Amino acid sequence: MKSLLMMLLLFPLLGGLYHALLGVRLDRRWSEIVAVAAVAGSLIMAVAAAVVAGGRPVIFPLLEWFSVGELAASMDAMYDPLAAVMAVLVTFIAALVHLFSVIYMRREGGYARYYCYLNLFVFFMLVIVTADNLLFLFLGWEGVGFCSYALIGFWYRDAYHADAARKAFLVTRIGSAALGIAIGLFFTAFQSLSMDYITHHAGMLSAGMVLAIGLLLLAAAAGKSALLPLSIWLPDAMAGPTPVSALIHAATMVTAGVYLLLRLYPVLVLSPVAMGVTAAVGAVTALYGACSALAQHDIKRVLAYSTVSQLGFMVLGIGAEDPTGGLFHLLSQAFFKALLFLAAGCIIQSLSGEHDIFRMGRKVRHALPKVYGCFLIGALSLAAVPPTIGFFSKDRLLLTNLTHPSIFHAVLWIIGTLTTLITALYVFRLFFLVFYGGPGPKRTQAPEPGPVRPILVWTLYPLAFLALAGGVMNLPIGSWNFLDRYLMPVAGLGPPLEASPSLEWGVRIGNAVVALIGIGLAYLAYGPRPLKEKPATAPDSMQNLLYSGFYLNKLYHRWVVRPYEQAAAFLSNRVDHGGVDAVMTGSGRLASRWSMNLRLWTTGRLSTYLGVLLAGFTAMLVILALGLL
Amino acid sequence: MIVPFGHVLFLAGLLFLMGAVCAAARRNLIMILMGVEVMLNAAGLVFVGAALHWGTLDGQAFVIFIMGVAAAEAGVGLVLFYYLNRRTGDTDADSYHTLKG
Amino acid sequence: MRLLLTLILFLPLIGGIAVLFFRRHPDRCRWVSLGVTLADLILVLVVWFGTDPMPGAMDGRRLFVDLPWIPALGIRYFLLLDGISLVMILLTAFLMVLCILASWRSIADRAGIYYFALLATETAVMGVFLAGDLFLFYLFWELQLIPIFFLIGLWGHPDRVRAAVRFFIFSMAGGLLLLIAIIGLYLIHGAQTEVYGFARYQLMNTTLGPAVEWWLFGAFLLGFGVKIPIVPVHTWLPDAHTEAPTAGSVILAGLLLKTGAYGLLRFGFPLFPTAAARSVPILLTLGLVGLFYIAWIALTQQDIKRIVAYSSISHMGLVVVGLAVWNEIALSGAVIQMVNHGITTSALFILVGILEERGHSRQLGDYHGLWHRMPVFSGFFLFFAMAAVGLPGLNNFIGEILILMGTFQEWPAAGIIGFIGIVLTLIYFLRLVQNLLFGPVDERMPGDDITQREAAVLIPLALAVLWIGLHPGPLLDLLAPSVAHLADLVGGNGGAADYVASGAM
Repeated sequence: MKSLLMMLLLFPLLGGLYHALLGVRLDRRWSEIVAVAAVAGSLIMAVAAAVVAGGRPVIFPLLEWFSVGELAASMDAMYDPLAAVMAVLVTFIAALVHLFSVIYMRREGGYARYYCYLNLFVFFMLVIVTADNLLFLFLGWEGVGFCSYALIGFWYRDAYHADAARKAFLVTRIGSAALGIAIGLFFTAFQSLSMDYITHHAGMLSAGMVLAIGLLLLAAAAGKSALLPLSIWLPDAMAGPTPVSALIHAATMVTAGVYLLLRLYPVLVLSPVAMGVTAAVGAVTALYGACSALAQHDIKRVLAYSTVSQLGFMVLGIGAEDPTGGLFHLLSQAFFKALLFLAAGCIIQSLSGEHDIFRMGRKVRHALPKVYGCFLIGALSLAAVPPTIGFFSKDRLLLTNLTHPSIFHAVLWIIGTLTTLITALYVFRLFFLVFYGGPGPKRTQAPEPGPVRPILVWTLYPLAFLALAGGVMNLPIGSWNFLDRYLMPVAGLGPPLEASPSLEWGVRIGNAVVALIGIGLAYLAYGPRPLKEKPATAPDSMQNLLYSGFYLNKLYHRWVVRPYEQAAAFLSNRVDHGGVDAVMTGSGRLASRWSMNLRLWTTGRLSTYLGVLLAGFTAMLVILALGLL
Repeated sequence: MIVPFGHVLFLAGLLFLMGAVCAAARRNLIMILMGVEVMLNAAGLVFVGAALHWGTLDGQAFVIFIMGVAAAEAGVGLVLFYYLNRRTGDTDADSYHTLKG
Repeated sequence: MRLLLTLILFLPLIGGIAVLFFRRHPDRCRWVSLGVTLADLILVLVVWFGTDPMPGAMDGRRLFVDLPWIPALGIRYFLLLDGISLVMILLTAFLMVLCILASWRSIADRAGIYYFALLATETAVMGVFLAGDLFLFYLFWELQLIPIFFLIGLWGHPDRVRAAVRFFIFSMAGGLLLLIAIIGLYLIHGAQTEVYGFARYQLMNTTLGPAVEWWLFGAFLLGFGVKIPIVPVHTWLPDAHTEAPTAGSVILAGLLLKTGAYGLLRFGFPLFPTAAARSVPILLTLGLVGLFYIAWIALTQQDIKRIVAYSSISHMGLVVVGLAVWNEIALSGAVIQMVNHGITTSALFILVGILEERGHSRQLGDYHGLWHRMPVFSGFFLFFAMAAVGLPGLNNFIGEILILMGTFQEWPAAGIIGFIGIVLTLIYFLRLVQNLLFGPVDERMPGDDITQREAAVLIPLALAVLWIGLHPGPLLDLLAPSVAHLADLVGGNGGAADYVASGAM
């Protein structure tokens, strides 16, 4: 078991190091083989470890790291069902994305760098997933942040990409600081950093501590998982290559925050306030992302805002005391969002790099019929149309909120349902514009879609299958809730609250209807017919508000970035150079002015010196004589 | 001792004062050097007087040293003056003030 | 083995004097200096692997020499090597080898004197780290100034003289305060016990009135604080680092700053425990303010070397925090962080030096898109920049997390602020990385990538970064007994009193 876990982590690490050290000299084909093999090996190990562990939580010390006094940071792995599910998910999607990348990136230079970061990313992600020690988790947490930075800025020659990368790194690092502080508080409270220990002794924490830690964990998750108010980096992160967006910014890294909340759920759940805030942040983020996605022009930005929205749903589930539901939605989102991103990648490649959905249209459908099918499945799943996995996972989250005793959650349920409607609307807006759009003014200059390599499409099939039929893994009927039961041994995770069957079915049918209404609205507004340039009936100001993601970037720029820069300039010019240093040099100048006066005594004339000497001696003698008297 | 110690001290003090005034007031380098020599001799006189007064030989021995140092100093000093005079033709002490701060 | 300590200490100086005889043959100077520093490094390694903490000694000492030197004043030739000293001289010996290699080509004129100055610095710095007698310590402390003054003043960049004088005056002013306090302590101790001496074990027993202790500690703090530097007295550092030649910057950042923190650790706190305990809030504030303040200031700088220099202040601010907290975890963190800072900042200075040799400019605006032209250089730069911002798995993280976790035990608020401060470090380092490495490709940018000699300098540093980042166990084991002893020594500090130092015996 231990060797399985070691290999699980070592394969991608060695792959990454291999590229880092020998990168420049590597042949492209060889580089691709190593990268894919490393992740595939890791996938096999993840599955094997899950089978061997058989649903029991196992903890293994892998390596010593450092320990001083009570502070012991060892690289311990915990492979419980939660970790197993995540590890399999991460390696599975990573394997597909690596395969996809081989074709997608075939004409790009810097392949060694690309695969190095991609492999390292998988390693760090697996560290997050399998870590038991919080500092070990932090290693992975920051590691994925770095890899994400490097991959968003992969096309570094364009300043826009580099800036997007920097933004992503910085904003996620704010979350990291929150996580670091939370780790510090855990350490003061428990003198231990083992999550296993912490989750089993969470009851020892005082109420204030629980609240503080809960909010800090939420802030950490907000940074990584792009929840409000730290969601601004994710849309920009789409500057990276599309496979990277699929892997890191849709399926895995952004779910790390959610995973953290799941891991430490027993702590979080102790504080009702923190839970309430979590649920509220989730609901508002879901609504925010969905609304913003409505007005985007860039196919990847629509999907990015959609990711923000779906992450909000997951957190909403956790806040409503249904962590398993959150995980279920995490899985479902990973499948359909990775599918949508990879399909989008096919479309973008076929249109030689075009991202604007208003320049796509029915020609795309004719050129890429298989991609069209896969995209449709992904869109249905995202819109939560039965019987896709997206329907079951979202339905469960909404139901949990409704059955939750607090009235507050009823409000959140309303927001959630509204979001479901908007979700169906924006995803089918996207779908119709991309695949059915007729000739419009912008479309006349649109590039002709070309064929794509079949391998690209093949990688979509497994995802499409899971997005369509993955719901089977946790059906809310009888004993079909495999995922619930599998996760039972994990501290804090269990089945949702019981609801009366009539309510349950009522909500379920209601959700399906809402999703269909959304699709219908999208059909009416963007359906297959010749379009005017501005199909949306919304006024311009509304359009701009949504397009800019509620001006969040501008707000940050005005209230955070600019004051920060001004403070920096002020401190540097006025305080450091004009203040502190001026005091230092001023005292020096004072001393030298004094010495200007003193140097008048140094006439250079012997007579002065002798006269002063004698006068001094005389004075000394007189003083001595008077003293004697 | 025939001469009272107080007289010796008085004479030595007078000599010292004269030497000091000479060294401080005169501008000519030779005269300054002479003033210093007189001061040294005054000090020597005190040593000799004190040696006789207390009946030890330390003072007299010290005078030998003082005389030796004074001779060496006078020699070095005179040579320096000689070179200075050869170079600038000037024995006025205040003309040499290149060390002014 | 006793002789070994003296040999380690003076071998560089002897080698330096030998170099002066070859000063007409720069190449011979280089090889001799390299040989001497390597030999010294090997000797330090021999001490590391060949000695263990002495049984029975509380402070984890491994070797010591204690001979009377000037008996009339009670001055002793007292060298003491414990875990902390060993780590510090290991760093010194390691960095000096790299300094010699880093200035292989860039120093052409007066090479003999240059290498003499480097080697003399090595002896002086090691003397500071080894001295157990306060007088001897002070002697080496001031001795460091002289070669560094000439290194900056003779081989530096255009504004070198001003920078050198500034550095000298600041250090001297601090040093004189230190001297006054040392003499004061010596006299008070002598008057109390009738035994006049400077040895640490003697002076520790002095009983001081609160006011006197406060004044003496203040002088020590200021003297050491200038060197560290603690924030309001830091303004000499950016100039000195920027104007110094690469090796000079490496020595300044890698070693000289450490002597300040080391002095505080070794003498400042243990000699004046009560005053030190009272000053903790002040020191914490200054350290944390430094972290934030520098992050802001570094953001506006245009000179690459200056940004790296400012980052030194902020890293050392964290060391001050670790010292102020003074428990086992934070102290280990502070020492490790000193080493880390020595490694990463030196590497960054060397990289900037390499860039300057090729592009003849240090202005941030003069470079962009280097990744395309110099991929290996860029890889190294990114690597060390990431180490400097404390990415886990690399060295600085270990120091930072130890300091902050130690801080959390005593002063949670300070720990929280520290974590936030570390984020700000990322901002200016990313700006640096962004502007240098990324951006449009430009064929006018320097295109000669790292040479083999430069790689020979950078690879050991990179390995050290990874070693400390991933497997700091051996270093921490070295430190453990000495640090535990120190943590016990100043017991009244914060909540550390009831702290049972396991393994201190």
